[in-house]
Amino acid sequence: MTRTAAPTPRPQEPDGPRQVSKFEFNLLRILRFLVGHFPADQGLGLVRAAATRPECLTHDAVTLVKDTLGKASVLFLTRAGGWRNDKYLRKNTPTPGRVWDRIPLDERVLEFSKPVLEFLLWLTAEKVHETKQAWDAAPKALTPSDELFFWLAFDQMRSDPDLLAVLRKKDAFRLNPFCWIASPGDVADPDSTKPTPPDLTRLCSGQRAVLMECLQSHLTIRWIRTERAKGQIGDWKKMRQQGSAEFAGLQAFLQAAEAARRTDLARFVLGTNAAVLQSDMTPVFWTGGLQGTGPPRLADRLETQRAALALPRQMEMLEGWQERARSVGYFDEDYAATQMWKLDWELANGNHVAARARAAVEMLEPLRGPAPGQPATQGAQGAGEKPEGSPG
Amino acid sequence: MSRAYRITVKESETRHLKAGDEICTQLEILEILPPEDMATLLKEELKKRGFEEQDDGTMTRKDGDLTVTIDPCSGEVSVKAETEATVSQEAKREATGFNDVGPNEKSLRDRVKDQLKQDLDKKFDSEQSKLQTKATEELEKHLQELQPEISQVVNQVTRDALKQKAQQMGTVKEVSEDAESGSLTIKVEV
Repeated sequence: MTRTAAPTPRPQEPDGPRQVSKFEFNLLRILRFLVGHFPADQGLGLVRAAATRPECLTHDAVTLVKDTLGKASVLFLTRAGGWRNDKYLRKNTPTPGRVWDRIPLDERVLEFSKPVLEFLLWLTAEKVHETKQAWDAAPKALTPSDELFFWLAFDQMRSDPDLLAVLRKKDAFRLNPFCWIASPGDVADPDSTKPTPPDLTRLCSGQRAVLMECLQSHLTIRWIRTERAKGQIGDWKKMRQQGSAEFAGLQAFLQAAEAARRTDLARFVLGTNAAVLQSDMTPVFWTGGLQGTGPPRLADRLETQRAALALPRQMEMLEGWQERARSVGYFDEDYAATQMWKLDWELANGNHVAARARAAVEMLEPLRGPAPGQPATQGAQGAGEKPEGSPG
Repeated sequence: MSRAYRITVKESETRHLKAGDEICTQLEILEILPPEDMATLLKEELKKRGFEEQDDGTMTRKDGDLTVTIDPCSGEVSVKAETEATVSQEAKREATGFNDVGPNEKSLRDRVKDQLKQDLDKKFDSEQSKLQTKATEELEKHLQELQPEISQVVNQVTRDALKQKAQQMGTVKEVSEDAESGSLTIKVEV
Protein backbone atom coordinates (compact mmCIF):
# COMPACT_ATOMS: atom_id res chain seq x y z
CA MET A 1 0.00 0.00 0.00
CA THR A 2 1.44 3.37 -0.94
CA ARG A 3 0.76 6.66 0.76
CA THR A 4 1.60 10.06 -0.65
CA ALA A 5 1.47 11.99 2.66
CA ALA A 6 1.73 11.08 6.33
CA PRO A 7 -1.60 11.13 8.19
CA THR A 8 -2.05 13.81 10.85
CA PRO A 9 -1.50 12.49 14.38
CA ARG A 10 -4.75 11.60 16.17
CA PRO A 11 -5.56 13.38 19.44
CA GLN A 12 -5.24 11.27 22.55
CA GLU A 13 -8.44 9.41 23.43
CA PRO A 14 -9.98 10.06 26.89
CA ASP A 15 -9.77 7.27 29.47
CA GLY A 16 -13.51 6.56 29.76
CA PRO A 17 -16.46 7.00 27.41
CA ARG A 18 -17.24 10.58 26.41
CA GLN A 19 -20.15 12.30 28.15
CA VAL A 20 -22.94 13.60 25.90
CA SER A 21 -26.42 15.01 26.54
CA LYS A 22 -29.63 13.12 25.67
CA PHE A 23 -30.07 15.26 22.50
CA GLU A 24 -26.50 14.58 21.42
CA PHE A 25 -26.95 10.89 22.16
CA ASN A 26 -29.99 10.83 19.83
CA LEU A 27 -28.10 12.80 17.19
CA LEU A 28 -25.25 10.31 17.28
CA ARG A 29 -27.65 7.39 17.04
CA ILE A 30 -29.36 9.04 14.03
CA LEU A 31 -25.96 9.56 12.43
CA ARG A 32 -25.07 5.91 13.00
CA PHE A 33 -28.42 4.94 11.44
CA LEU A 34 -27.78 7.13 8.40
CA VAL A 35 -24.42 5.48 7.75
CA GLY A 36 -25.92 2.02 8.22
CA HIS A 37 -24.53 1.18 11.66
CA PHE A 38 -27.77 1.29 13.66
CA PRO A 39 -31.06 -0.65 13.23
CA ALA A 40 -33.31 1.06 10.67
CA ASP A 41 -36.55 0.73 12.67
CA GLN A 42 -35.03 2.44 15.70
CA GLY A 43 -33.32 5.04 13.54
CA LEU A 44 -36.53 5.91 11.69
CA GLY A 45 -38.28 6.17 15.06
CA LEU A 46 -35.73 8.74 16.21
CA VAL A 47 -36.06 10.71 12.96
CA ARG A 48 -39.84 10.82 13.34
CA ALA A 49 -39.55 12.07 16.94
CA ALA A 50 -38.80 15.62 18.09
CA ALA A 51 -36.35 16.77 20.78
CA THR A 52 -35.54 20.17 22.24
CA ARG A 53 -32.57 21.58 20.44
CA PRO A 54 -29.75 22.90 22.63
CA GLU A 55 -27.90 26.14 21.96
CA CYS A 56 -24.87 24.27 20.71
CA LEU A 57 -23.22 20.88 20.77
CA THR A 58 -20.44 19.98 23.20
CA HIS A 59 -16.90 19.45 21.97
CA ASP A 60 -17.14 15.74 22.77
CA ALA A 61 -20.29 15.33 20.67
CA VAL A 62 -18.74 17.15 17.71
CA THR A 63 -15.64 14.97 17.99
CA LEU A 64 -17.79 11.84 17.96
CA VAL A 65 -19.74 13.10 14.92
CA LYS A 66 -16.48 13.75 13.05
CA ASP A 67 -15.12 10.36 14.07
CA THR A 68 -18.28 8.52 13.00
CA LEU A 69 -18.53 10.38 9.68
CA GLY A 70 -14.91 9.78 8.80
CA LYS A 71 -14.73 6.12 9.75
CA ALA A 72 -18.16 5.12 8.45
CA SER A 73 -17.71 6.83 5.08
CA VAL A 74 -14.30 5.30 4.49
CA LEU A 75 -15.58 1.89 5.59
CA PHE A 76 -18.60 2.19 3.27
CA LEU A 77 -16.51 3.22 0.26
CA THR A 78 -13.98 0.47 0.89
CA ARG A 79 -16.68 -2.18 1.19
CA ALA A 80 -18.63 -0.78 -1.78
CA GLY A 81 -15.73 -1.50 -4.10
CA GLY A 82 -12.75 0.66 -3.17
CA TRP A 83 -10.88 -2.44 -1.99
CA ARG A 84 -10.98 -4.05 -5.41
CA ASN A 85 -7.76 -4.29 -7.34
CA ASP A 86 -9.17 -2.79 -10.51
CA LYS A 87 -8.23 -0.52 -13.39
CA TYR A 88 -9.66 2.95 -13.86
CA LEU A 89 -8.73 5.82 -16.13
CA ARG A 90 -6.51 8.48 -14.72
CA LYS A 91 -5.54 11.26 -17.12
CA ASN A 92 -6.94 9.04 -19.88
CA THR A 93 -4.58 6.18 -18.99
CA PRO A 94 -5.65 2.94 -17.31
CA THR A 95 -4.25 2.89 -13.77
CA PRO A 96 -4.38 -0.37 -11.82
CA GLY A 97 -4.65 -0.97 -8.08
CA ARG A 98 -6.95 -0.48 -5.13
CA VAL A 99 -8.35 3.01 -4.65
CA TRP A 100 -5.64 3.94 -2.13
CA ASP A 101 -2.99 2.75 -4.58
CA ARG A 102 -4.40 4.61 -7.57
CA ILE A 103 -5.35 7.91 -5.99
CA PRO A 104 -2.96 10.13 -4.01
CA LEU A 105 -4.04 10.81 -0.43
CA ASP A 106 -4.73 14.52 -0.94
CA GLU A 107 -7.25 13.67 -3.67
CA ARG A 108 -9.17 11.25 -1.52
CA VAL A 109 -9.50 13.23 1.68
CA LEU A 110 -13.16 13.39 2.68
CA GLU A 111 -14.18 16.86 3.84
CA PHE A 112 -17.56 17.32 5.46
CA SER A 113 -18.92 20.84 5.84
CA LYS A 114 -21.40 22.71 8.00
CA PRO A 115 -24.62 21.63 6.20
CA VAL A 116 -24.02 18.03 7.36
CA LEU A 117 -24.05 19.01 11.04
CA GLU A 118 -26.99 21.37 10.50
CA PHE A 119 -28.89 18.53 8.84
CA LEU A 120 -28.17 16.23 11.79
CA LEU A 121 -29.35 18.89 14.23
CA TRP A 122 -32.54 19.42 12.22
CA LEU A 123 -33.16 15.68 11.93
CA THR A 124 -32.80 15.22 15.69
CA ALA A 125 -34.76 18.29 16.78
CA GLU A 126 -37.66 18.11 14.33
CA LYS A 127 -40.25 15.57 13.33
CA VAL A 128 -39.11 15.44 9.73
CA HIS A 129 -42.53 14.51 8.34
CA GLU A 130 -44.21 17.35 10.28
CA THR A 131 -41.35 19.81 10.30
CA LYS A 132 -41.94 23.39 11.40
CA GLN A 133 -38.45 24.64 10.69
CA ALA A 134 -37.44 24.61 7.03
CA TRP A 135 -34.02 23.15 6.41
CA ASP A 136 -32.14 22.81 3.14
CA ALA A 137 -28.61 23.08 1.85
CA ALA A 138 -27.56 24.93 -1.29
CA PRO A 139 -26.07 22.32 -3.65
CA LYS A 140 -23.17 24.64 -4.53
CA ALA A 141 -22.10 24.80 -0.89
CA LEU A 142 -21.75 21.02 -0.64
CA THR A 143 -18.47 19.14 -0.95
CA PRO A 144 -18.38 15.75 -2.72
CA SER A 145 -18.24 14.09 0.72
CA ASP A 146 -21.34 16.02 1.81
CA GLU A 147 -23.17 14.78 -1.26
CA LEU A 148 -22.08 11.23 -0.50
CA PHE A 149 -23.36 11.60 3.05
CA PHE A 150 -26.70 13.09 1.94
CA TRP A 151 -27.15 10.24 -0.52
CA LEU A 152 -26.48 7.66 2.24
CA ALA A 153 -28.97 9.50 4.46
CA PHE A 154 -31.57 9.58 1.68
CA ASP A 155 -31.02 5.91 0.99
CA GLN A 156 -31.65 4.97 4.62
CA MET A 157 -34.80 7.05 4.94
CA ARG A 158 -36.44 6.49 1.54
CA SER A 159 -38.23 3.35 2.79
CA ASP A 160 -40.53 5.63 4.82
CA PRO A 161 -43.00 7.27 2.38
CA ASP A 162 -43.64 10.29 4.68
CA LEU A 163 -39.94 11.04 5.03
CA LEU A 164 -39.33 10.42 1.33
CA ALA A 165 -42.04 12.94 0.39
CA VAL A 166 -40.36 15.61 2.55
CA LEU A 167 -36.76 14.85 1.60
CA ARG A 168 -37.18 14.76 -2.17
CA LYS A 169 -38.41 18.35 -2.14
CA LYS A 170 -35.12 19.54 -0.68
CA ASP A 171 -32.31 20.65 -2.97
CA ALA A 172 -29.72 18.72 -0.94
CA PHE A 173 -31.33 15.52 -2.24
CA ARG A 174 -33.27 16.65 -5.33
CA LEU A 175 -30.12 17.97 -6.98
CA ASN A 176 -27.72 15.41 -5.51
CA PRO A 177 -25.96 13.54 -8.34
CA PHE A 178 -25.39 10.44 -6.21
CA CYS A 179 -29.11 10.20 -5.39
CA TRP A 180 -29.86 10.45 -9.12
CA ILE A 181 -27.42 7.76 -10.12
CA ALA A 182 -28.45 5.31 -7.38
CA SER A 183 -32.21 5.74 -7.01
CA PRO A 184 -33.60 8.16 -9.61
CA GLY A 185 -37.11 6.76 -9.25
CA ASP A 186 -37.25 7.85 -5.61
CA VAL A 187 -35.60 11.23 -5.90
CA ALA A 188 -37.51 12.48 -8.97
CA ASP A 189 -40.71 14.44 -8.52
CA PRO A 190 -43.53 11.83 -8.67
CA ASP A 191 -45.88 14.28 -10.39
CA SER A 192 -43.46 15.26 -13.12
CA THR A 193 -44.05 13.67 -16.53
CA LYS A 194 -40.56 14.59 -17.73
CA PRO A 195 -38.03 14.26 -14.91
CA THR A 196 -35.01 16.51 -15.19
CA PRO A 197 -31.82 15.29 -13.56
CA PRO A 198 -29.28 17.77 -12.22
CA ASP A 199 -25.91 18.33 -13.87
CA LEU A 200 -24.26 14.89 -13.67
CA THR A 201 -21.01 15.96 -15.33
CA ARG A 202 -19.74 16.61 -11.80
CA LEU A 203 -19.69 12.84 -11.23
CA CYS A 204 -17.04 12.38 -13.89
CA SER A 205 -14.28 14.60 -12.52
CA GLY A 206 -12.41 15.34 -9.31
CA GLN A 207 -13.23 13.59 -6.08
CA ARG A 208 -16.75 12.64 -7.20
CA ALA A 209 -15.19 10.51 -9.95
CA VAL A 210 -13.03 8.79 -7.31
CA LEU A 211 -16.18 8.10 -5.30
CA MET A 212 -17.88 6.75 -8.43
CA GLU A 213 -14.95 4.38 -8.96
CA CYS A 214 -15.45 3.04 -5.43
CA LEU A 215 -19.21 2.69 -6.00
CA GLN A 216 -19.18 0.67 -9.24
CA SER A 217 -19.84 -2.76 -7.67
CA HIS A 218 -22.33 -1.30 -5.23
CA LEU A 219 -24.26 0.43 -8.03
CA THR A 220 -24.27 -2.73 -10.15
CA ILE A 221 -25.83 -4.74 -7.31
CA ARG A 222 -28.40 -2.01 -6.62
CA TRP A 223 -29.44 -1.70 -10.25
CA ILE A 224 -29.73 -5.47 -10.69
CA ARG A 225 -32.01 -5.54 -7.64
CA THR A 226 -34.07 -2.64 -9.01
CA GLU A 227 -34.45 -4.27 -12.42
CA ARG A 228 -35.52 -7.58 -10.92
CA ALA A 229 -38.05 -5.83 -8.69
CA LYS A 230 -39.65 -4.05 -11.64
CA GLY A 231 -41.61 -7.18 -12.50
CA GLN A 232 -43.42 -6.70 -9.17
CA ILE A 233 -44.60 -3.14 -9.87
CA GLY A 234 -48.34 -3.20 -10.43
CA ASP A 235 -49.09 0.49 -10.72
CA TRP A 236 -48.75 1.91 -14.24
CA LYS A 237 -48.19 5.45 -13.01
CA LYS A 238 -45.44 4.37 -10.62
CA MET A 239 -43.75 2.35 -13.36
CA ARG A 240 -43.83 5.27 -15.78
CA GLN A 241 -42.53 7.70 -13.19
CA GLN A 242 -39.71 5.39 -12.06
CA GLY A 243 -38.75 4.35 -15.59
CA SER A 244 -38.74 7.89 -16.95
CA ALA A 245 -36.55 9.08 -14.08
CA GLU A 246 -34.17 6.15 -14.58
CA PHE A 247 -33.94 6.78 -18.30
CA ALA A 248 -33.32 10.50 -17.85
CA GLY A 249 -30.74 9.94 -15.09
CA LEU A 250 -28.80 7.25 -16.93
CA GLN A 251 -28.84 9.13 -20.24
CA ALA A 252 -27.54 12.27 -18.56
CA PHE A 253 -24.83 10.29 -16.81
CA LEU A 254 -23.71 8.38 -19.92
CA GLN A 255 -23.54 11.58 -21.93
CA ALA A 256 -21.48 13.19 -19.17
CA ALA A 257 -19.16 10.17 -18.95
CA GLU A 258 -18.64 10.20 -22.72
CA ALA A 259 -17.91 13.92 -22.77
CA ALA A 260 -15.44 13.56 -19.89
CA ARG A 261 -13.85 10.47 -21.52
CA ARG A 262 -14.65 8.45 -18.42
CA THR A 263 -16.39 5.48 -19.99
CA ASP A 264 -14.94 3.36 -17.18
CA LEU A 265 -17.38 5.03 -14.78
CA ALA A 266 -20.29 3.54 -16.73
CA ARG A 267 -19.20 -0.02 -16.03
CA PHE A 268 -22.14 -0.49 -13.70
CA VAL A 269 -24.58 0.17 -16.57
CA LEU A 270 -22.88 -2.45 -18.72
CA GLY A 271 -22.52 -4.83 -15.77
CA THR A 272 -26.18 -4.56 -14.81
CA ASN A 273 -27.33 -5.17 -18.37
CA ALA A 274 -25.01 -8.15 -18.63
CA ALA A 275 -26.38 -9.61 -15.39
CA VAL A 276 -30.03 -9.04 -16.29
CA LEU A 277 -29.83 -10.03 -19.96
CA GLN A 278 -28.15 -13.39 -19.50
CA SER A 279 -30.64 -15.00 -21.86
CA ASP A 280 -33.17 -13.78 -24.41
CA MET A 281 -35.81 -11.74 -22.62
CA THR A 282 -39.19 -10.35 -23.47
CA PRO A 283 -40.50 -7.06 -22.03
CA VAL A 284 -42.72 -9.17 -19.74
CA PHE A 285 -39.72 -9.53 -17.42
CA TRP A 286 -40.07 -5.81 -16.63
CA THR A 287 -43.77 -5.18 -17.23
CA GLY A 288 -45.27 -8.52 -16.13
CA GLY A 289 -46.48 -7.15 -12.80
CA LEU A 290 -48.55 -4.29 -14.20
CA GLN A 291 -52.13 -4.67 -13.07
CA GLY A 292 -55.24 -4.13 -15.18
CA THR A 293 -55.40 -2.69 -18.65
CA GLY A 294 -53.61 0.50 -17.69
CA PRO A 295 -54.29 4.02 -18.95
CA PRO A 296 -57.02 4.38 -21.57
CA ARG A 297 -54.68 5.94 -24.17
CA LEU A 298 -52.43 3.59 -26.11
CA ALA A 299 -49.78 6.32 -26.17
CA ASP A 300 -49.61 6.31 -22.35
CA ARG A 301 -49.48 2.52 -22.15
CA LEU A 302 -46.68 2.39 -24.69
CA GLU A 303 -44.77 5.15 -22.92
CA THR A 304 -45.05 3.25 -19.61
CA GLN A 305 -43.76 0.05 -21.18
CA ARG A 306 -40.91 1.88 -22.86
CA ALA A 307 -40.04 3.52 -19.53
CA ALA A 308 -39.94 0.11 -17.84
CA LEU A 309 -37.06 -0.86 -20.15
CA ALA A 310 -35.01 2.21 -19.25
CA LEU A 311 -31.88 0.18 -18.52
CA PRO A 312 -31.72 -2.05 -21.65
CA ARG A 313 -32.34 1.08 -23.73
CA GLN A 314 -28.97 2.41 -22.54
CA MET A 315 -27.17 -0.37 -24.41
CA GLU A 316 -27.65 1.57 -27.65
CA MET A 317 -25.33 4.29 -26.38
CA LEU A 318 -22.80 1.79 -25.01
CA GLU A 319 -22.84 0.03 -28.38
CA GLY A 320 -21.97 3.37 -29.98
CA TRP A 321 -18.99 3.67 -27.62
CA GLN A 322 -17.88 0.21 -28.65
CA GLU A 323 -18.16 1.11 -32.34
CA ARG A 324 -16.03 4.19 -31.83
CA ALA A 325 -13.52 2.27 -29.69
CA ARG A 326 -13.06 -0.20 -32.56
CA SER A 327 -12.08 2.58 -34.90
CA VAL A 328 -9.35 4.01 -32.63
CA GLY A 329 -5.87 3.13 -33.89
CA TYR A 330 -2.68 2.30 -32.04
CA PHE A 331 -1.20 5.77 -32.53
CA ASP A 332 -4.39 7.60 -31.53
CA GLU A 333 -4.54 9.50 -28.26
CA ASP A 334 -7.34 7.41 -26.77
CA TYR A 335 -5.88 4.04 -27.67
CA ALA A 336 -5.19 2.82 -24.11
CA ALA A 337 -8.54 4.07 -22.80
CA THR A 338 -10.50 2.49 -25.65
CA GLN A 339 -8.61 -0.77 -25.25
CA MET A 340 -9.77 -0.84 -21.63
CA TRP A 341 -13.36 -0.20 -22.70
CA LYS A 342 -13.15 -2.97 -25.31
CA LEU A 343 -11.90 -5.34 -22.64
CA ASP A 344 -14.80 -4.40 -20.35
CA TRP A 345 -17.18 -4.92 -23.27
CA GLU A 346 -15.74 -8.32 -24.06
CA LEU A 347 -15.81 -9.44 -20.43
CA ALA A 348 -19.47 -8.46 -20.22
CA ASN A 349 -20.19 -10.28 -23.51
CA GLY A 350 -21.30 -6.89 -24.79
CA ASN A 351 -22.30 -7.89 -28.32
CA HIS A 352 -24.73 -10.52 -27.10
CA VAL A 353 -26.05 -8.30 -24.33
CA ALA A 354 -26.63 -5.43 -26.77
CA ALA A 355 -28.43 -7.76 -29.21
CA ARG A 356 -30.68 -9.07 -26.43
CA ALA A 357 -31.38 -5.56 -25.18
CA ARG A 358 -32.25 -4.43 -28.71
CA ALA A 359 -34.54 -7.40 -29.25
CA ALA A 360 -36.38 -6.75 -25.96
CA VAL A 361 -36.79 -3.05 -26.73
CA GLU A 362 -37.97 -3.72 -30.28
CA MET A 363 -40.63 -6.16 -29.11
CA LEU A 364 -42.42 -3.21 -27.57
CA GLU A 365 -42.35 -1.10 -30.69
CA PRO A 366 -45.51 -1.07 -32.77
CA LEU A 367 -45.35 -1.51 -36.56
CA ARG A 368 -42.38 -3.85 -36.30
CA GLY A 369 -42.66 -7.31 -37.73
CA PRO A 370 -42.31 -9.34 -40.88
CA ALA A 371 -44.13 -8.46 -44.07
CA PRO A 372 -46.93 -10.88 -44.99
CA GLY A 373 -45.62 -14.19 -46.28
CA GLN A 374 -42.11 -13.59 -44.97
CA PRO A 375 -40.43 -15.25 -42.01
CA ALA A 376 -39.46 -13.21 -38.95
CA THR A 377 -35.74 -12.56 -38.69
CA GLN A 378 -34.54 -9.72 -36.51
CA GLY A 379 -35.17 -9.72 -32.81
CA ALA A 380 -37.60 -12.60 -33.03
CA GLN A 381 -37.24 -15.93 -31.32
CA GLY A 382 -36.71 -19.12 -33.18
CA ALA A 383 -39.59 -21.55 -33.40
CA GLY A 384 -39.97 -23.59 -30.25
CA GLU A 385 -37.73 -21.30 -28.20
CA LYS A 386 -39.34 -19.66 -25.23
CA PRO A 387 -37.49 -16.60 -23.96
CA GLU A 388 -37.08 -16.06 -20.25
CA GLY A 389 -39.87 -14.00 -18.76
CA SER A 390 -42.27 -14.73 -21.59
CA PRO A 391 -45.88 -15.33 -20.64
CA GLY A 392 -45.81 -18.78 -22.18
CA MET B 1 -96.51 27.27 10.90
CA SER B 2 -93.96 26.05 8.39
CA ARG B 3 -94.84 25.35 4.79
CA ALA B 4 -92.96 22.85 2.68
CA TYR B 5 -92.12 23.58 -0.92
CA ARG B 6 -90.42 21.54 -3.63
CA ILE B 7 -88.02 22.93 -6.19
CA THR B 8 -87.30 21.11 -9.44
CA VAL B 9 -84.27 22.26 -11.38
CA LYS B 10 -83.52 20.96 -14.84
CA GLU B 11 -80.47 21.79 -16.90
CA SER B 12 -79.23 20.72 -20.28
CA GLU B 13 -75.91 21.40 -21.94
CA THR B 14 -74.28 20.68 -25.26
CA ARG B 15 -70.54 20.26 -25.51
CA HIS B 16 -68.20 19.48 -28.34
CA LEU B 17 -65.95 16.64 -27.13
CA LYS B 18 -62.65 15.64 -28.68
CA ALA B 19 -60.51 12.57 -28.00
CA GLY B 20 -57.27 11.47 -29.53
CA ASP B 21 -54.50 8.95 -29.29
CA GLU B 22 -51.15 8.77 -31.01
CA ILE B 23 -48.19 6.47 -31.18
CA CYS B 24 -44.75 7.29 -32.49
CA THR B 25 -42.11 4.80 -33.52
CA GLN B 26 -39.12 4.46 -35.77
CA LEU B 27 -38.81 2.62 -39.08
CA GLU B 28 -35.95 0.17 -39.35
CA ILE B 29 -34.24 1.41 -42.50
CA LEU B 30 -30.82 -0.12 -43.16
CA GLU B 31 -28.12 2.30 -44.23
CA ILE B 32 -27.34 0.67 -47.57
CA LEU B 33 -27.11 3.97 -49.41
CA PRO B 34 -26.41 7.46 -48.01
CA PRO B 35 -29.30 8.69 -45.79
CA GLU B 36 -30.58 11.20 -48.37
CA ASP B 37 -30.79 8.46 -51.04
CA MET B 38 -32.60 6.14 -48.63
CA ALA B 39 -35.00 8.98 -47.81
CA THR B 40 -35.70 9.52 -51.53
CA LEU B 41 -36.42 5.82 -52.05
CA LEU B 42 -38.73 5.79 -49.04
CA LYS B 43 -40.52 8.90 -50.28
CA GLU B 44 -41.07 7.33 -53.71
CA GLU B 45 -42.42 4.13 -52.21
CA LEU B 46 -44.75 6.03 -49.90
CA LYS B 47 -46.06 8.16 -52.79
CA LYS B 48 -47.02 4.93 -54.59
CA ARG B 49 -49.07 4.00 -51.54
CA GLY B 50 -51.09 7.19 -51.41
CA PHE B 51 -48.95 9.32 -49.11
CA GLU B 52 -48.72 13.03 -49.88
CA GLU B 53 -45.70 15.18 -49.31
CA GLN B 54 -46.16 18.05 -46.85
CA ASP B 55 -44.36 21.41 -46.69
CA ASP B 56 -42.10 20.15 -43.89
CA GLY B 57 -40.98 17.18 -45.98
CA THR B 58 -43.06 14.59 -44.13
CA MET B 59 -45.38 12.18 -45.95
CA THR B 60 -48.96 12.01 -44.74
CA ARG B 61 -51.95 9.83 -45.49
CA LYS B 62 -55.43 10.12 -44.04
CA ASP B 63 -57.26 6.86 -43.39
CA GLY B 64 -60.66 8.01 -42.11
CA ASP B 65 -60.18 9.44 -38.62
CA LEU B 66 -56.57 8.31 -38.61
CA THR B 67 -53.54 10.14 -39.90
CA VAL B 68 -50.29 8.37 -40.68
CA THR B 69 -47.24 10.63 -40.89
CA ILE B 70 -43.79 9.42 -41.89
CA ASP B 71 -40.65 11.50 -41.90
CA PRO B 72 -38.52 9.98 -44.69
CA CYS B 73 -35.34 11.63 -43.35
CA SER B 74 -35.51 10.34 -39.78
CA GLY B 75 -37.77 7.33 -40.38
CA GLU B 76 -40.11 8.48 -37.63
CA VAL B 77 -43.68 7.23 -37.98
CA SER B 78 -46.63 8.68 -36.14
CA VAL B 79 -50.14 7.30 -36.26
CA LYS B 80 -52.80 9.57 -34.87
CA ALA B 81 -56.44 8.83 -34.20
CA GLU B 82 -58.86 11.66 -33.55
CA THR B 83 -62.54 11.48 -32.78
CA GLU B 84 -64.96 14.24 -32.00
CA ALA B 85 -68.63 14.43 -31.23
CA THR B 86 -71.20 16.96 -30.15
CA VAL B 87 -72.95 15.60 -27.10
CA SER B 88 -76.05 16.93 -25.35
CA GLN B 89 -76.79 15.94 -21.79
CA GLU B 90 -79.65 16.69 -19.50
CA ALA B 91 -79.92 16.45 -15.72
CA LYS B 92 -82.76 17.00 -13.32
CA ARG B 93 -82.85 17.36 -9.53
CA GLU B 94 -85.52 17.95 -6.95
CA ALA B 95 -85.17 19.44 -3.47
CA THR B 96 -87.55 20.14 -0.61
CA GLY B 97 -87.39 23.22 1.65
CA PHE B 98 -89.41 24.92 4.36
CA ASN B 99 -90.28 28.60 4.23
CA ASP B 100 -89.57 29.33 7.94
CA VAL B 101 -86.55 27.10 8.66
CA GLY B 102 -83.54 25.99 6.66
CA PRO B 103 -82.23 27.69 3.57
CA ASN B 104 -84.37 30.15 1.72
CA GLU B 105 -85.43 29.38 -1.80
CA LYS B 106 -82.59 31.18 -3.56
CA SER B 107 -79.79 29.47 -1.69
CA LEU B 108 -81.53 26.11 -2.04
CA ARG B 109 -81.87 26.64 -5.76
CA ASP B 110 -78.18 27.59 -6.01
CA ARG B 111 -77.16 24.49 -4.13
CA VAL B 112 -79.24 22.25 -6.37
CA LYS B 113 -77.78 23.98 -9.43
CA ASP B 114 -74.26 23.23 -8.20
CA GLN B 115 -75.19 19.60 -7.74
CA LEU B 116 -76.72 19.55 -11.19
CA LYS B 117 -73.53 20.97 -12.66
CA GLN B 118 -71.55 18.18 -11.01
CA ASP B 119 -74.01 15.62 -12.40
CA LEU B 120 -73.60 17.05 -15.88
CA ASP B 121 -69.80 17.08 -15.57
CA LYS B 122 -69.86 13.41 -14.59
CA LYS B 123 -72.04 12.56 -17.58
CA PHE B 124 -69.73 14.45 -19.94
CA ASP B 125 -66.68 12.74 -18.35
CA SER B 126 -68.27 9.41 -19.04
CA GLU B 127 -68.96 10.41 -22.66
CA GLN B 128 -65.40 11.67 -22.97
CA SER B 129 -63.98 8.38 -21.76
CA LYS B 130 -66.24 6.48 -24.21
CA LEU B 131 -64.95 8.68 -27.02
CA GLN B 132 -61.37 8.08 -25.85
CA THR B 133 -61.89 4.32 -25.83
CA LYS B 134 -63.30 4.55 -29.35
CA ALA B 135 -60.26 6.51 -30.57
CA THR B 136 -57.81 4.10 -28.93
CA GLU B 137 -59.62 1.03 -30.28
CA GLU B 138 -59.58 2.52 -33.77
CA LEU B 139 -55.87 3.21 -33.44
CA GLU B 140 -55.13 -0.33 -32.23
CA LYS B 141 -57.16 -1.84 -35.04
CA HIS B 142 -55.50 0.35 -37.62
CA LEU B 143 -52.03 -0.48 -36.32
CA GLN B 144 -52.68 -4.16 -36.97
CA GLU B 145 -53.67 -3.35 -40.53
CA LEU B 146 -50.81 -0.92 -41.03
CA GLN B 147 -48.03 -3.17 -39.73
CA PRO B 148 -47.81 -5.49 -42.81
CA GLU B 149 -47.94 -2.49 -45.14
CA ILE B 150 -45.12 -0.72 -43.31
CA SER B 151 -43.05 -3.94 -43.40
CA GLN B 152 -43.66 -4.17 -47.15
CA VAL B 153 -42.55 -0.56 -47.57
CA VAL B 154 -39.35 -1.18 -45.61
CA ASN B 155 -38.63 -4.36 -47.58
CA GLN B 156 -39.27 -2.65 -50.90
CA VAL B 157 -36.99 0.26 -49.99
CA THR B 158 -34.28 -2.20 -48.89
CA ARG B 159 -34.58 -4.14 -52.18
CA ASP B 160 -34.41 -0.95 -54.27
CA ALA B 161 -31.43 0.28 -52.28
CA LEU B 162 -29.62 -3.04 -52.76
CA LYS B 163 -30.23 -2.91 -56.50
CA GLN B 164 -28.90 0.65 -56.70
CA LYS B 165 -25.89 -0.32 -54.62
CA ALA B 166 -25.22 -3.26 -56.91
CA GLN B 167 -25.38 -0.96 -59.94
CA GLN B 168 -22.85 1.35 -58.29
CA MET B 169 -20.52 -1.60 -57.67
CA GLY B 170 -20.43 -2.91 -61.23
CA THR B 171 -22.58 -4.40 -63.98
CA VAL B 172 -25.67 -6.22 -62.74
CA LYS B 173 -25.78 -9.59 -64.51
CA GLU B 174 -28.76 -11.18 -62.87
CA VAL B 175 -31.42 -10.30 -60.32
CA SER B 176 -33.64 -12.98 -58.85
CA GLU B 177 -36.27 -12.43 -56.22
CA ASP B 178 -38.19 -14.99 -54.21
CA ALA B 179 -41.38 -13.38 -52.95
CA GLU B 180 -42.15 -16.30 -50.65
CA SER B 181 -38.93 -16.25 -48.65
CA GLY B 182 -38.22 -12.57 -49.28
CA SER B 183 -34.74 -13.32 -50.60
CA LEU B 184 -33.07 -11.22 -53.26
CA THR B 185 -30.02 -12.40 -55.19
CA ILE B 186 -28.05 -9.98 -57.33
CA LYS B 187 -25.09 -11.11 -59.44
CA VAL B 188 -22.69 -8.27 -60.16
CA GLU B 189 -19.70 -8.24 -62.47
CA VAL B 190 -17.09 -5.95 -61.03
